[in-house]
Amino acid sequence: MVLNFVTMKKIKYSLLKTIDITGLTFLDPVVRLCYGEEPQVQLKKIGQWIIVPLIAVFVALFVIYDGFIVDTFKTKSGKLPTSSKIYSSYQAIDQLHDDELAKEKAYNLSGEEREVELKAVEEKISSVAKALELAGQAVASQQEVTKASIASKVAPIQAEYEALKESIKVAATARAEELELFSQSMTPGDESAAEKLLELVRADDAQDTLDREKRNLIKEKISVTLGEKSLDLEEIKAEETYFSERLAFLKTYKTLLSTENKSLIIDEKKGRISAYEQELTTLTGADALKKAKSIVKQESVISKKEESEYAGSKTIWYQVKRSVLCVFTGFFLGSFLAIPIGIFCGLNKTFMAMMTPFIAIFKPVSPIVWLPIILILVMGAFPNPDKHPFMEFLGELPLIGVYKINPAFIASAITVALCSLWATMANTALGVASIDKDHMNVARVLKLGFFARLFKIIIPSSLPLIFAGLRISLGVGWMVLIAAELLSSSEGIGKFVFDEFNNGGSDSLAKMVVVVFIVGIIGLILDRIMVIFQRLVSFEGAPATI
Amino acid sequence: MITKENSQFVEISNLIKEYPNPYGEDFRVVENFDLKIKEGEFISLIGHSGCGKSTVLTMLAGLNEISGGGIIVGNKEIDGPGPDRAVVFQAPCLMPWMTAFDNVMLGVKNVYPHVSKQERIQIVEYSLSAVGLGDEMKKYPREMSGGMQQRVGIARAIALQPRVLLLDEPFGRLDSLTRMELQDVIIDILAKEKLTAMIVTHDVDEAVFMADRCVMMSNGPKAGVGEILEIGFPRPRERKEVFDDPNFFAYREHLLAFLEQRSHIKGEPRVFANGEILGFMDKERVEVIRRNHEKVS
Repeated sequence: MVLNFVTMKKIKYSLLKTIDITGLTFLDPVVRLCYGEEPQVQLKKIGQWIIVPLIAVFVALFVIYDGFIVDTFKTKSGKLPTSSKIYSSYQAIDQLHDDELAKEKAYNLSGEEREVELKAVEEKISSVAKALELAGQAVASQQEVTKASIASKVAPIQAEYEALKESIKVAATARAEELELFSQSMTPGDESAAEKLLELVRADDAQDTLDREKRNLIKEKISVTLGEKSLDLEEIKAEETYFSERLAFLKTYKTLLSTENKSLIIDEKKGRISAYEQELTTLTGADALKKAKSIVKQESVISKKEESEYAGSKTIWYQVKRSVLCVFTGFFLGSFLAIPIGIFCGLNKTFMAMMTPFIAIFKPVSPIVWLPIILILVMGAFPNPDKHPFMEFLGELPLIGVYKINPAFIASAITVALCSLWATMANTALGVASIDKDHMNVARVLKLGFFARLFKIIIPSSLPLIFAGLRISLGVGWMVLIAAELLSSSEGIGKFVFDEFNNGGSDSLAKMVVVVFIVGIIGLILDRIMVIFQRLVSFEGAPATI
Repeated sequence: MITKENSQFVEISNLIKEYPNPYGEDFRVVENFDLKIKEGEFISLIGHSGCGKSTVLTMLAGLNEISGGGIIVGNKEIDGPGPDRAVVFQAPCLMPWMTAFDNVMLGVKNVYPHVSKQERIQIVEYSLSAVGLGDEMKKYPREMSGGMQQRVGIARAIALQPRVLLLDEPFGRLDSLTRMELQDVIIDILAKEKLTAMIVTHDVDEAVFMADRCVMMSNGPKAGVGEILEIGFPRPRERKEVFDDPNFFAYREHLLAFLEQRSHIKGEPRVFANGEILGFMDKERVEVIRRNHEKVS
């Protein structure tokens, strides 16, 4: 029992330490509360750091956004998406990802498994088709209902319109007759009569314009009523679209299990080869040669097919992973340059003076400017990227190969490096330059050589600032990357946003808002990771971060 | 019998330290500082704040540039810092990212490049045990008290096996109990290693208890050696014996009197003690000290 108590305490303190290092301090009162430590104080802290933020998010999302902003702002393709619509878009994006994975699996299935799966799919298809049919009927009937209700709404307006048209016509004819009579009664040389005629014509013209406007107003009313959308109909239609999309997916899934299945195609080709081989034994001369050649050709087709992978469209999580890989590639590339240069800048004033113009001029350059330049350079270096040995080498790497590194990826990574390295460089230079004088005096008394000074004193003492810089760099790099991917069409989150923008579908806006949250959350995670590293290399009395 | 070489193991002659002054003549902090130190002798340097005590010590350490004059240590003029002159700073100046062991090893690795790893470890362990940290070698500075950190600083200095140990107000930031402990640690080590040492201090008791000679510096600017007081206590010294000795108070009084009187007189011509006690003191007190001296010798 006593031992148990001690281990519980130990767990508590290690938990609290982990929370402290990771910077997730809002969890601290939860742990303390679980251990019954000053419940009132902890509850107050929980209220302050968990409940209040949650309420703020709730109010912002459901009250201010859904209740006010959505109704106020309109886009070309309708209203802004409500929060529930954004969530269902997220589900749709996620579903698409799962579907692609399923398709890939289906493509590679073989043997009995394939047959079992095929049967299951056929059953599913029939049930979904039934559901779709029902939904279609519901849509049709609802459409009838809506049509009828609209027609009943339009009818009185239409009648009003006709009446107005008639009365306007009558009045216009009367005015025309009056004008004609007046003009005939005029005597030449009578100035006042001429003026009166002009006035009458002007009044007639003004009345015409007024009448036209009245007519147009009612016409518009009619078209608005005709275009009214019934919410019920929209809902039922959405259901229909959902089922039709599922059906389309299941049909592709089925073809991937049957006619387009990898093992099936290979089996078929193999069967053809064995048939050819039998034929070959009965042939001589030119015919035999021809057969033999076609057998060899089929064999090469098989070997290619065996290596082939399912070529589906890229989905969000794949793009997210590729973006993260790209940002780290650029980040490491940038740090690899920035840290040594920063150290030399901090050590040597002359070197610092040499670097200052470059830093001052290149630092403010936007990624939008860097990217096209880098892209041209990278494409120049890899004129035929698919066949380039370096690209092939990258494609065969175990974990990275899946992400198909191409010049656009490399250019995005280099852009990230160029835009993010400045923070690390400045912080490293500052860290090295602001090293404790006493420590340097110790180094002088101990007569440490250059490398001992560098690795035992200078770098360890500037590590906290270097990591502060790296943290800023990674944040900047993540922001830059999205823009770079958008420009370079490197498969990633930026490209996802751009594709949605170009699509202009009804749910594109909602999908882009989903990306806002994905980008934000990943940026937050990257930042937390760097905070942990920063805490681990820090020591008491370390120079403060900037 | 002390040979000439031994009696002038450290020779500081006409030492000058100037700082540039943009609005006039260069600012002279130390002028014509002369001192000869015997091998194995312990010198304490005492004087008012800002009189240039630490400047002299850092120049001897080679950390501060010399503006004029010269310093010879063991027949060689010094040129920059070196491991033959180890320094214990006022702040422990440990590397916070290294354990006590690694902090000491930092210098050892460099000073004994041809020694095997095992022997280096032995040197580090020996010097840490000598300051009483045999069991705390794997601790980081943040896990140690100020006194323990300063012990590591001392261990780091003696691990270099220097010929001269320079102590720059090493106990200035410690409480009096820790200070006494560390004074004893230094006295023990010096007795064992037979090092030549110089300590800069504000503490009159410390100056008398630890040193063979107290060098009192005149006030700056243009500070120099004001007076030198020979402390006649035999070594090894025991704290209780020294503090109970009637001479202790006489020496103490003398130092205090010097500090009190000289604090108002600037640029006084230097008076060398040479065993004889001179200075601005009332005759009675001089008499007391002289008598005590005779008793000791």
